[in-house]
Amino acid sequence: MATIQIQMKKKRVRRENQTALTYLAPALIFLIVFMVYPLIYSGILSFFKWTGVSAKVFIGFENFQRLFTDNYFWRALVNNISVAVSALIFQVFIALVIAFVLVRVMDKVSKVYLFIFLIPMVVSEICIGLLWGFIYNPYFGLINAALRGLGLESLAIGWLGESATAFPAVINAMNFTYLGLYVLLFVNSIQDVPEDIFDAAKIDGAGGIRTFFNVVIPVIRESIGSTMLLAVISSFKTFSLVFVLTNGGPNHRSEVLSTYLYKMGFNSFQMGYASTIGFVQMLLMALAGFIVLYSTSRKNKELA
Amino acid sequence: MKMKQKNTSSIIAIILVTITLVMVIAPFIWLIYSSLKTNKEFMASVWKLPAAPQWENFKKAWGGGSLGTYTINSLIVTAVSVFLTVIISTLAGYAMWIFKLKKWMNKIQLFLVITMTIPAYASLVPLVETLRAMSLLDTLTGVILPTVAFNTPMSIFIMRSTFFTLPFEVIEAARFDGASEPVIFTKIAVPLVRPAMFTTAIINMIWVWNDFLFPLVFINNPNLKTLPVGLKDFVGEHVTNYPVMMAAILIASMGAFVIYSIFQKQVIGGLTGGAVKG
Repeated sequence: MATIQIQMKKKRVRRENQTALTYLAPALIFLIVFMVYPLIYSGILSFFKWTGVSAKVFIGFENFQRLFTDNYFWRALVNNISVAVSALIFQVFIALVIAFVLVRVMDKVSKVYLFIFLIPMVVSEICIGLLWGFIYNPYFGLINAALRGLGLESLAIGWLGESATAFPAVINAMNFTYLGLYVLLFVNSIQDVPEDIFDAAKIDGAGGIRTFFNVVIPVIRESIGSTMLLAVISSFKTFSLVFVLTNGGPNHRSEVLSTYLYKMGFNSFQMGYASTIGFVQMLLMALAGFIVLYSTSRKNKELA
Repeated sequence: MKMKQKNTSSIIAIILVTITLVMVIAPFIWLIYSSLKTNKEFMASVWKLPAAPQWENFKKAWGGGSLGTYTINSLIVTAVSVFLTVIISTLAGYAMWIFKLKKWMNKIQLFLVITMTIPAYASLVPLVETLRAMSLLDTLTGVILPTVAFNTPMSIFIMRSTFFTLPFEVIEAARFDGASEPVIFTKIAVPLVRPAMFTTAIINMIWVWNDFLFPLVFINNPNLKTLPVGLKDFVGEHVTNYPVMMAAILIASMGAFVIYSIFQKQVIGGLTGGAVKG
């Protein structure tokens, strides 16, 4: 009797698994064919010298050795890290302040504000990039026109062409472009904070600034954490704005990993080396993700 | 009760936020009125408003290049990708809800989270090889399929979170009545999540319409280029007439902006639900 029941249960479980897999199959097929398989293939290609048309030549760890002594790779990696740090300060933190003001100080008009802050997020990065290219233009750009208007002719330079200003100029364009997304995410989480918490702060006599630091930040810290993680991940994905504004120039000053990989693979046809850049980049991301997951899970355990 | 009385610090805060807002929107306003100037006017002063709006610039931008062809290509890529992504992610989100008690579902979820962190460029070289092996390089299908794959994880999470708000009893009641699995999915589950499918569709429309990397790398044929890639070529070729270039940029941004203006709620929902996409 019992064995029949167990058999029936097994049969039912198997049938359920089959149904579940049927529903998941289209998604899994797409993800495996166009994400997982290329990633594994990229790992394999990292060990080859290959122009894309010639035969692949196995060269062991040569690409990796080259990568670790390649100054442009390191500069690109450092630049990606700078993008991430700037995103945390100028996008995430400022967005948090703006969201607080929108939700808690100016509740009525905030919808219009939010609408406008999000415009750069929905327009293509190519349009944004071309537009900022105009703004930074040495001859008729907005910035230089403003400087000349103020009598500061000497400061009017080719922002994207100078090695000192190119990368900060790109980062500045990024900050304006992505700020809105973080404002939106924080508006959502601050709106979810129960009203009585704010009432309690008010009774305690907390002003706006103290409410922000002592109430809002601790209460929504989880959302702040995940948004910071999101900003860091996005910073390592950045491509289009850099590509359009400077394409990594001048002399690799504003290079990021994506533009460097693109150049190696599709301008100088060093497909094997380009794969190595992508593969190492993925390994670094995986390592960073592991550290974040590990530290947060430990923190959660400590709290529990 | 919100803080109704406006003290000095709230006024300063509002002013600072408004300045930031103006800085975010000013480039776009400048773009709009500059696109209506003559080239001479633009060279003389980049600030001044046009004496008379030059609607000609838009005709020149549209007729002077292949923006029409690029737009059609973008429309095809967007329509097919969005259609596939919505169906695939609804099916997957449903499975993750219905079979949430299965232990291996956690692994699927972890797998999806990991795929979301993969930057599209990291596997660019092998992707090109994969597409070449499938004879899909330099075709619109070759752009569509990887685009669907990369947008699927975020879309699944949008659908999944909506399914999880539904009462599970609905499904149990239908099962009790003897409805088959496909019938439960199409006749009961899908109608309940139609708004979320719409949100997924709208946010994917914006993502795909603006996508640059895949069409840049996978397409060589000038007749198959999508709008963002074609626009970059167009601007590179027309460096002499700035207002016409700006008109072209405006034409190219219009589609996504109109969708955003009409379906603000869905765009915001999609941006929130699929925030990891970047």
